[in-house]
Amino acid sequence: MKFREQHRIPDLGIGVGFRPKHAKDVLEAGGSKDVAWYEIVSENYMVGGGRLLENLERLRASYSVIPHGVCMSIGAVEELDEDYLARLKKLVRAIDPPYFTDHLCFCKASGLDLHDLLPLPHTKEAIEHLVPRIRHVQQTIEKPFALENVSSYLAYNSSEMTEWELISEIAEKADCGILLDVNNVYVSAFNHGFDAEKFIDGIPADRVVQIHLAGHTDKGTYLLDTHSDHVKDEVWSLYQRAIRRTGAVSTLVEWDEQIPAFDVLAKEAALAKKHREEALR
Amino acid sequence: MKLHDLQKTFAEALVLPKSFAEDAKWRARGETAFTGNDRVTPIGQLDIYREQFWIRHVNCLREDFPVLVALVGDEKFEAIVRDYLEVFPPKKFQLRHLGENLADFLATRDDQLLADLARVEWAFIDAFDAPDAQPLDPSSISAISEDDWPNARLVLHPSLQLLRLAHPANEMRDAWWSDKDKRPIERAERKPTHVVVFRHKDLLLYTEVMETLPFEMLSLLASGKSLGAAGDDLAASSGRGEEIESSIGSWFTRWSGLGWISRVVL
Repeated sequence: MKFREQHRIPDLGIGVGFRPKHAKDVLEAGGSKDVAWYEIVSENYMVGGGRLLENLERLRASYSVIPHGVCMSIGAVEELDEDYLARLKKLVRAIDPPYFTDHLCFCKASGLDLHDLLPLPHTKEAIEHLVPRIRHVQQTIEKPFALENVSSYLAYNSSEMTEWELISEIAEKADCGILLDVNNVYVSAFNHGFDAEKFIDGIPADRVVQIHLAGHTDKGTYLLDTHSDHVKDEVWSLYQRAIRRTGAVSTLVEWDEQIPAFDVLAKEAALAKKHREEALR
Repeated sequence: MKLHDLQKTFAEALVLPKSFAEDAKWRARGETAFTGNDRVTPIGQLDIYREQFWIRHVNCLREDFPVLVALVGDEKFEAIVRDYLEVFPPKKFQLRHLGENLADFLATRDDQLLADLARVEWAFIDAFDAPDAQPLDPSSISAISEDDWPNARLVLHPSLQLLRLAHPANEMRDAWWSDKDKRPIERAERKPTHVVVFRHKDLLLYTEVMETLPFEMLSLLASGKSLGAAGDDLAASSGRGEEIESSIGSWFTRWSGLGWISRVVL
């Protein structure tokens, strides 16, 4: 049975990241007809109490909410942080989402938390390291787990395969889902000179539980994944290609830097809806 | 390069304060590990992550300490953060904790006003997302007999931050936040100040400036001492036993009215 079917992963439509700046627009002014669901950054809600948790409770009462982590550090050589997992489990239980997500990367090294989504080499060693850890996380949290491809600004001499081959093999062996970030594919393709369409075509479509869209910044010699702007035309094209392969899956528009007014974000969500409908027609 | 060595290289490289793209040793290491391309050298690729490490962490603390930034200026603040992170590199997964040692770090330097200001700004961060607790249920204390009160311990609301300051840095913070034009901030003169930062049941954050005696009593109670023991200790250290005895009832009423007391336990 296919992954999405087996785990009854729903198509939630188009969502956006829920940010404190938009709390009034969403919780008091009714949000937008173009935004069907919200994603939260898990770690921001792994706190004792206060306004954030109250907002989350109110958000949950009206919308589907997907927790998206940025700090699990699944690819680090250090032991998985069991305290982190316990706190994540508590949050996931409170939200009861159909799945939860994080990134295929490492964030910790030598006892430091570098607070970045650092790329892994595309090696057999990485696969052997990651698979049991992903299985452990999935079993601990007791929900389907999906990992996102990250944007990268460096490539390793030691890599033995393409990024999409790495992701596919990990997802199959660990039996986890994939959060396909189309903007990250575009950014990494530019930075490393590979064909973005081959990446999109090389991912096992049935394992994609969600797609991410965002804006990036041209730094002259490389693209930086800043989430600070509108989605670029080339990324919309890739999105259409991706969603034609996957069929209708939940799609999220991310905007985390220079966060605009809620209506600007809602318009971007409406645009995503239009592209999605066009592609699926 | 194996995963372990590669990740160790990141930890070593990202915390370096200056670009290593022109450093011969690092260039050699970069060529061993990274591919580079026709636009960015192998070590230049790693340097992108180093640059982002500093931008991310400096910006995070800028957001958490905006009044401190307003007082010292952007450039000096960045220099402070760079020195701070050398002593206290990030070790917790939530960026929210990054500035938790900044006040202590600043206290080791010359300008104590900066430490006080950092202490006040950090208290707001801690109070904002501290665990919730129910306010005191009056019926729960009606059963406590007069004889038992000296043995009673107060459980305070987890958001309470008790600040013992050498300057009224709380006034600087209030002035900056209430000034729509964000004009340059004035330094406060030295004046011992006791402040409580707390989250009310409306989930908003407030400050309460306190006299020395009730503040010291509250501090003793927060440390876990019973009412009787705290009163005795404070009477011995202040020589104001009668004042404490006559005021404790009104202090209790005020504190429970502000939602500072969650429970009374025997």
